[in-house]
Amino acid sequence: MSVHVRPQKPFLSRLMTLILVMVGMMGLPSFTMGQAEEPTTDQQAQRLLASRCSVCHSQDLVQQQRLPRDRWEATVTKMVHWGAQLDKEEEAMLTTYLATYFHPEAGPVVALPAAPSIQADQAGRESGAAPTPGGAAARGASLYKQNCLPCHGEAGNGGVGPKLARNPILTQADRFRTTVSQGRGAMPPWGAVLRPQEITDILAWLNTLHD
Amino acid sequence: MTNHEGPGITRRRLLAGAAGGLALALTGGRLWSPAEEAAAETGDQPAAQPLITHVARPLDAETPSQVFTQYLTPNDQFFIRSHFGPPAPALVAPASWRLSVAGLVERPLSLSLDDLSKFEEVSMTAVVQCSGNGRAFHRPKAPGVQWETGAVGNARWTGIRLRDVLQRAGLKARAQHLQLQGADRPVVASVPLFVRSIPLKKALHPDTILATRMNGAPLPLLHGAPLRLITPGWMADSCVKWLTDLTLQAEEARGYYMETAYRYPSRPVKPGEVLAPEDLKPVEAMVVKSLIAFPKQGATLSSSAVMVQGVAWTGEGHIEKVEVSTDEGKTWEQARLVGEDVPYAWRQWQFLWRTKGSGQRTILSRASDDRGQVQPMSSPWNPGGFLWNGVDRVQVQVTEA
Repeated sequence: MSVHVRPQKPFLSRLMTLILVMVGMMGLPSFTMGQAEEPTTDQQAQRLLASRCSVCHSQDLVQQQRLPRDRWEATVTKMVHWGAQLDKEEEAMLTTYLATYFHPEAGPVVALPAAPSIQADQAGRESGAAPTPGGAAARGASLYKQNCLPCHGEAGNGGVGPKLARNPILTQADRFRTTVSQGRGAMPPWGAVLRPQEITDILAWLNTLHD
Repeated sequence: MTNHEGPGITRRRLLAGAAGGLALALTGGRLWSPAEEAAAETGDQPAAQPLITHVARPLDAETPSQVFTQYLTPNDQFFIRSHFGPPAPALVAPASWRLSVAGLVERPLSLSLDDLSKFEEVSMTAVVQCSGNGRAFHRPKAPGVQWETGAVGNARWTGIRLRDVLQRAGLKARAQHLQLQGADRPVVASVPLFVRSIPLKKALHPDTILATRMNGAPLPLLHGAPLRLITPGWMADSCVKWLTDLTLQAEEARGYYMETAYRYPSRPVKPGEVLAPEDLKPVEAMVVKSLIAFPKQGATLSSSAVMVQGVAWTGEGHIEKVEVSTDEGKTWEQARLVGEDVPYAWRQWQFLWRTKGSGQRTILSRASDDRGQVQPMSSPWNPGGFLWNGVDRVQVQVTEA
């Protein structure tokens, strides 16, 4: 992954983002900026790939394609027809992203934009609610339904992915958070899709299941 | 296009390096491999020489070509093609598993593994190959898993004749096609099921078998346990794994995997041309093909005499000759066909190459069969990127002995 720099961004904000990314990577206590940027459309498309497409297949399948725009349009349309959860705007965003990076002239290695740093992202997005250290099970339920249900089943009872209801990992919050954000085995990493608070909310909801 | 690797493309998967590094970072030093994970879940032993993974989930992984120096491809090194991945083990538990025979039959059947074991047992060595094998070499690139050389293998299959089971059910006169379905299911219910069909003539052929064993061992879960169809000489699209339902029909099966996917143009087409499904027919027989198993791509050779080895196979015909060129196809010399010579299996070949001088050299191999098929330098482009059988090509570095 190489950082793809968009030339129209002001230098200072690029520098701040870079500092935030580096601070985040070093695991040091980071500071929050008042005016962090929204993720770019490329980064939003990468999120869609990780959350909506990865339900059925890993992203390597997408990244090995080299197709012209009309083929990508047909492919994304087919996937929506088959059940990929994308609205019209998301479908267009994703198609543009795929046609931009995975076109017939692209070489064997494609340099992709870096994922936005979680810190910069959180400061810039409406969190929608005050932080809840223990997690909010109600929010967790809807997040679970949107992101986890296809693999882990309706009530966390398992499917392609393991059963989560009463799974021992639910008592190890740190391990749960690491597994969700970084992925494990066949499970894709969700760190670019779900914020730490959202992962905590999902954990809170999973801990309410009793079968 | 003389170089089927395409400009700047080598057989070493460049992306694997970056992905591997990431996996290493995430697992704290132990490189996670999907094949290993699949092996852990299914109880199969992970392979000694790992497969080359193209898609981690559902798993699509090919065999490194040096494995093909062996006549039989070991079960744990046999390529894996998944539409949805294997069904949950509970769905294919031998005790509760049933094969249903229904549709245009006199007597619908529901057969247990025990019932099937009472039919006459047959064994056969046959090549199984994904019709997308070699897709990565098509130009322009066709959509799909970018298989290179290893979505193929040669194994000994043991089971019973499909014909015997169909005759037990009794076919009605209108039955012309056999629909096939396995126990695997997509993650999301709105994704079409993998439903295929074969013409009745192929279904009733005495060499078409319902296999329960592979290379003498019970069929591994990733290869279709407890039962898969083997249609020898045909591309593997019809070798349905985890087979549960046989339905006799008057027409070809409906649905995406028969009407849209796995179809090949019935006339020459221009690259990029998008065709209507009616201009295409289902992929059936394999085409003539050879692979170089030794030396491997990128090897350094310091000998003045190298025994080049490989395999060659075709669909329903017989391999007549394999030729090798070390001058980019200007001249060809005949290789020696060795080992077993049986229908549907591949044929091994050897060629003693006397290297001259030093530097980069390219070895090409080209097979011909008794139906007049000869491997082309480059296969006809088609929208699905199927049936690639361009001459195989391995680049090596020759140093002074």
